[in-house]
Amino acid sequence: MSSGAEGKAKNRRGLSGWLNPYHYNFERWAYVFQRVTGVAILAYVIGHLGDTSFFVGGPTGTGPSESSWTFISGLVENSFGHLILILVVLVVIFHGANGIRLIVSELGLILGRPSPIEYPYRPKSLRSVQRVLIWVAIALALVGTGWAVLILFGGSI
Amino acid sequence: MKESRLMLLQYSTAVLAVVLVAIHLVMQGIATPYSTAISYATILSIYRTWFYAIFLEALLVVVLVHGFNGVRIILHEWRQTAPWSRWVDLGTVVAIVATVAFGSRTVILAVFGGVAG
Repeated sequence: MSSGAEGKAKNRRGLSGWLNPYHYNFERWAYVFQRVTGVAILAYVIGHLGDTSFFVGGPTGTGPSESSWTFISGLVENSFGHLILILVVLVVIFHGANGIRLIVSELGLILGRPSPIEYPYRPKSLRSVQRVLIWVAIALALVGTGWAVLILFGGSI
Repeated sequence: MKESRLMLLQYSTAVLAVVLVAIHLVMQGIATPYSTAISYATILSIYRTWFYAIFLEALLVVVLVHGFNGVRIILHEWRQTAPWSRWVDLGTVVAIVATVAFGSRTVILAVFGGVAG
């Protein structure tokens, strides 16, 4: 096989390899969720730029407009819109907290000391602290989501 | 720019985004009740306070640079040919400039624009 064909074969799985959950461990799931939530948040932010532009009359507006803002609020401030906001809070807090874990591990602070490889060959760098911090990220996201539910569906908070 | 510097940019914007988004979320429900926070009068007064206008502009730039650079990193991991890399880098710059310009337009008009009915 030529070197070009070898390179192509190695990368053949592409995105399907990245998203294939077969043989995933907990840390790998955290990695996939970090990426999926990142793309989802960016999509929301782009949409949010669109809806906030209605504060100044939309894409062709020239300044603050109460009627334009009332119009867009009528479209997004409902149960479905609030459900989307709750999902956004969930993924934003997970992405932020898990991202801080990834930055700290990239700095080498929570990887543990190197040691001989022993059966069952589980990477030491992914044990204890890393795993606890993933659970902390999940817990913070759930607490934030509960807070968002209270604010958006709980009445006068 | 070197990839190592772009990763530093990704990490520094990540830390800044965590702080700025946390403040943004607190402002939308804890510091002010949600129904008040999204009212026209409250938003206008926030935009017309210099500190908050600069805060919102910083939030806009930090989140968009972090988000589009993150997508660029994913796309670079997906394929590694030279033309692909060039197009991804160019597309990232165009996307950041276009979205920051559109978001900044809202901030600038909200701060300086004449108030309509």
